[in-house]
Amino acid sequence: MRKLAIFVSLLACGFLWPLRAEGQSASQTQANTAPPHQTKGGLAADPAEQQAFQHEFDDVCGRTQDAMLLTKDELKDLMRRCDALVPKLTKLDETQRKVYKRRLEQCRGLFAYVLDTKKDSNK
Amino acid sequence: MKRYFLLPLTLLLLLCLQALAQTATQPAGVKKRRPLPPEYGRVVIGQNVENAQLAPVVFEHWIHRSMFTCRVCHVDIGFAMKANGSGITPVDIQRGYYCGACHNGRMVRNDKTVFAGCGLRDTLADEQRCDRCHSYGKSVKSEYNFARFSANLPRERFGNGIDWEKAEVQGLIQSTDFVDGISMKRNSLAVQKDFALNPKVESMPDIIFSHKKHTVWNGCELCHPDIFFGVKKGTTKYTMVDIFEGRSCGACHSTVAFPTMDCQRCHSKPVQQ
Amino acid sequence: MSSTRRRIRTSSLRAAAVVLLCGTFIAVIAVQGQQVYLQAAAPEDQFGDVTLNQHVTLDNGPVVFNHWLHRAKFTCRLCHVDIGFAMVANGTGINAKTNEEGFYCGACHDGKRQFGNVTVFASCRQDGVAKADVTCSRCHASSKTTRKYSYREFTAKLPKARYGIDWMAAENAGVIKPIDVIDGLSIAKQRINNHAELAIAPQVQWFTGIHFSHELHTKWNSCELCHPDIFPTQRDRAANMSMYQIANGRFCGACHVKVAFPINGCNQCHANGPMWVNGPGWIM
Repeated sequence: MRKLAIFVSLLACGFLWPLRAEGQSASQTQANTAPPHQTKGGLAADPAEQQAFQHEFDDVCGRTQDAMLLTKDELKDLMRRCDALVPKLTKLDETQRKVYKRRLEQCRGLFAYVLDTKKDSNK
Repeated sequence: MKRYFLLPLTLLLLLCLQALAQTATQPAGVKKRRPLPPEYGRVVIGQNVENAQLAPVVFEHWIHRSMFTCRVCHVDIGFAMKANGSGITPVDIQRGYYCGACHNGRMVRNDKTVFAGCGLRDTLADEQRCDRCHSYGKSVKSEYNFARFSANLPRERFGNGIDWEKAEVQGLIQSTDFVDGISMKRNSLAVQKDFALNPKVESMPDIIFSHKKHTVWNGCELCHPDIFFGVKKGTTKYTMVDIFEGRSCGACHSTVAFPTMDCQRCHSKPVQQ
Repeated sequence: MSSTRRRIRTSSLRAAAVVLLCGTFIAVIAVQGQQVYLQAAAPEDQFGDVTLNQHVTLDNGPVVFNHWLHRAKFTCRLCHVDIGFAMVANGTGINAKTNEEGFYCGACHDGKRQFGNVTVFASCRQDGVAKADVTCSRCHASSKTTRKYSYREFTAKLPKARYGIDWMAAENAGVIKPIDVIDGLSIAKQRINNHAELAIAPQVQWFTGIHFSHELHTKWNSCELCHPDIFPTQRDRAANMSMYQIANGRFCGACHVKVAFPINGCNQCHANGPMWVNGPGWIM
């Protein structure tokens, strides 16, 4: 009886698994744990480091519009600078990390894409 | 007794679950309901959230796209292109990210101060403000009326029923591409050439794809490489089925930009006889 | 337990298992909504009628929409593509508010639109017209239902088919001229001419093949009406179309069960090739 019950419940799980509700976010607790001030800098991040990160990010990812006009070396340099920013994400607060991780991926992804288009050319 | 019941019970369970799975998804061969013009582009965020204290958020694209380009939100602010894809929490909004980048009670747009999103010290008294976004399942009177908004805008088929591109060309809407404090200064983009895509079915006219029209609102990184990763034209093969299911062109042109149901908007080149 | 009792118990259990299995099979077929038999078509004057009963009140009963009245004047495309009506009863989400805002029925039934010398009567209004006045009862069934047009009179001069009206013949003869574009409502686009005539092989060997004509269908429909919802754009996705599904309103059955000529006349579609030329005729 026990074996039957286990077997049946495993089978049910196997069939119901694809029907589970989609879109469940990872952490959706509504706890109000934000720092008292509402500026972009979080308390968790060192303001100076955060500003340096922002400055470098703006400088690198602000060049996405020029990507098609850059040389392969310039694109490689920008990609290297993007990669150098990744470890610095850990110094930011949780929200900034989430936002900049995606923005950095988009930005680096574009440079890699454009570099790929220039693969066969000399420039 | 166990042995005799095991087989039929298993079959019963299998069949019932299969039937359940089939009824849960919409079968092929029936026409889907088409959203009304004010409903098109609506994104419901936060459904099926555990311990949710407020109703899910109903986000309307039409009011936002009349003021900002796609790039401001989907690149500069960093919103994902799928509901619940960004993982927004009230803390993020309080810190001035995502919705809170504009909905902070300080930004001024069209001579109005943009109302603040989730606040740190919100109480029950702020319910009316919360309901402006958290309105799913509730009857909340919206401040902006779609009929009034779209009355003078050039019309097009399906979707919102608005020709957004023409509206901007005619100056009826001003989509900002740069928001101070959020966007970074960029040079203007070198113009890309338009090109034609050949469909598989011979009787369908060619598609004229215009990079220029797309980059006016999107920039490069919104599509490349996430949505279109093929480097050389013609290397990525995608079909209309992919598009209708929300991949490649369908990432935007199934739920937000003009829907792919309007064949002639893309298949616009006359067929060479 | 004695061996006899054990034998009886075994056989009764076996019987119970068989009954359970058969019962499950039948129950699942019912759950999946598969009809085993083709339904008889409705009486001719009720064919194509759609009952909308989502918003029934004491004063306003269900709406019975007559297809015959509207399809004599407009193409399928105008209502189902331009205006955006769904293809199943209650599937659109029509209510007094949407009508008043000029969507769905309200797109034409606004008291202002004119066709020829007829001004189309206004549909639902929310501005306090709570009592069922004459206009309400033209659509909503009530004790005062007044229908201006009767099927018999309206279709008296239309060419008849074996069942109902032969709409194609009516249009070819010029008796009806369905309107395809309404100014202010439709936005005309360059026509895509698809001359693909398809030969569809039936799933059973002893039936003739189907000859599907895009040209005939695109006279009143356009691509968007059928594609991609009803017919996916790649043929292999619709490969398993069966008569059961069609009888249930899927694929061809989206139109050819309740509105266009019904599938009860097999040889209207199964007319391809010399095999079994006359088909089995009508199933009523």
